[in-house]
Amino acid sequence: MTWISKSVTGLGLLFLTHACYSAHEHSALHSTTAASLSSIASHTAAVPTVASLPIDISIETIVAVFTICLGLVLGTPELRPIQWRVWAGKIEREGEKGFSSSDGTVDKDYVGNPFRVLESRPGFIDIRKQRKEFAEWVREGGGTAEAS
Amino acid sequence: MSSSLSHPPAHLPPSVALQLSQQAPVTLRNTPSVISSYSLSTLWSAAETPELWTEYENLMLSCLRTGDEQSAGQCLERLTERFGAENERLMALRGLFQEAIAKDDAALKQVLGEYENILAKDPSNMPVSKRRIALLKTLGKTTEAITALNEFVDSSPTDAEAWAELADLYVTQGMYPQAIFALEEVLLITPYAWNIHARLGEILFMAGSTGDSSGDKYLAESLRRFCRSIELCDDYLRGYYGLKLATNKLLTSLPQASRQSKSDSTLPLPDLKTVERLNETATAKLSEIVRRSVSGECEGYDKGEVIAAKALLDSGATKTIR
Repeated sequence: MTWISKSVTGLGLLFLTHACYSAHEHSALHSTTAASLSSIASHTAAVPTVASLPIDISIETIVAVFTICLGLVLGTPELRPIQWRVWAGKIEREGEKGFSSSDGTVDKDYVGNPFRVLESRPGFIDIRKQRKEFAEWVREGGGTAEAS
Repeated sequence: MSSSLSHPPAHLPPSVALQLSQQAPVTLRNTPSVISSYSLSTLWSAAETPELWTEYENLMLSCLRTGDEQSAGQCLERLTERFGAENERLMALRGLFQEAIAKDDAALKQVLGEYENILAKDPSNMPVSKRRIALLKTLGKTTEAITALNEFVDSSPTDAEAWAELADLYVTQGMYPQAIFALEEVLLITPYAWNIHARLGEILFMAGSTGDSSGDKYLAESLRRFCRSIELCDDYLRGYYGLKLATNKLLTSLPQASRQSKSDSTLPLPDLKTVERLNETATAKLSEIVRRSVSGECEGYDKGEVIAAKALLDSGATKTIR
């Protein structure tokens, strides 16, 4: 999906550059011709005609802007759930996976279930029990089973 | 790795804690030891972030858990250098460190004495009073811990953590009505905590299973709590598991209960039909969750929970076959 959005944005930028270049060329050409004309016949052209862009350049600019917008919109990441139950369900269902970007790093503001602290309760942590449990886990060969 | 360091490590599986503490020396070497706010070096060194100190704290807890006291001591030292020894939170952390390295009960009692000294000087020191309660629990003095915790919630009634701890202590003593009250207080503070709704449902279920006269009331209430937890969280395995258990139990007890008179003014017991439909929904959802997590589609669920759900489904299936 990303390459589509990137190529569309690139195409739009190309159009925009082309339109800008055309507009610049047009105005440069117009001013030189107007200047040379006025130097030849300064009395006849008392009011210089207003330089208006040709319609194709205007159309190209507008099309380019819309193409760039389309490309950027296509390239946005997936929207976050805004309903509480959907968001909570996503945390429960997918864990860290659901909140990581495409290159595998977990979002900075991801905290998992924010209410889990009410059950783990870091303020009342029983460190001796945890140490005992950990020692038991090691004795049962948890470390080797995990490593192998 | 850093993502798991920035959250309290109590719920982490032992393997992750081991990994964290094995990497502790490297982490300690790579992070700046002292960040002074008044020196020239602040111009070019990395800025101080609040996360750094949270990580130190969590690293210390992981190291203490795995028995790496040296690294834990180093974390504590750096935190003390930064915040000073008189910081309330650091007092509690230092006490925690001493609890962890204490050899026997006498040493623990000494730590408890230190806590009491600190609290005599400054009774409003919340972290230390929490540690004191936790230490009382460690020493096996549960009733004293409950008394102390009751005083604590009296002085700070909006501390959800303390209420939740109180509920757990009451459950260990089998005092279900008190535990339910404490958890309802938690829900007043955090009304959208879906795991607390499920926890309350579980305690109500336990209270309803003791077999006294008001058992059905508790079961019906537990059913409602589980439903609320599912309402707050799609595909909540724990909620559906509890819902299935509660409906199974209600389906066996409701037919007798409906014959009794319904004179009291509390919420009526749910319809038999509603309970049946809820049971079917829970079964369908549970089997879907088990199927999807076995096939590896969703990985957030705890493995043990999925196995338990599968066992529950299997036992239900054999019952219907018979």
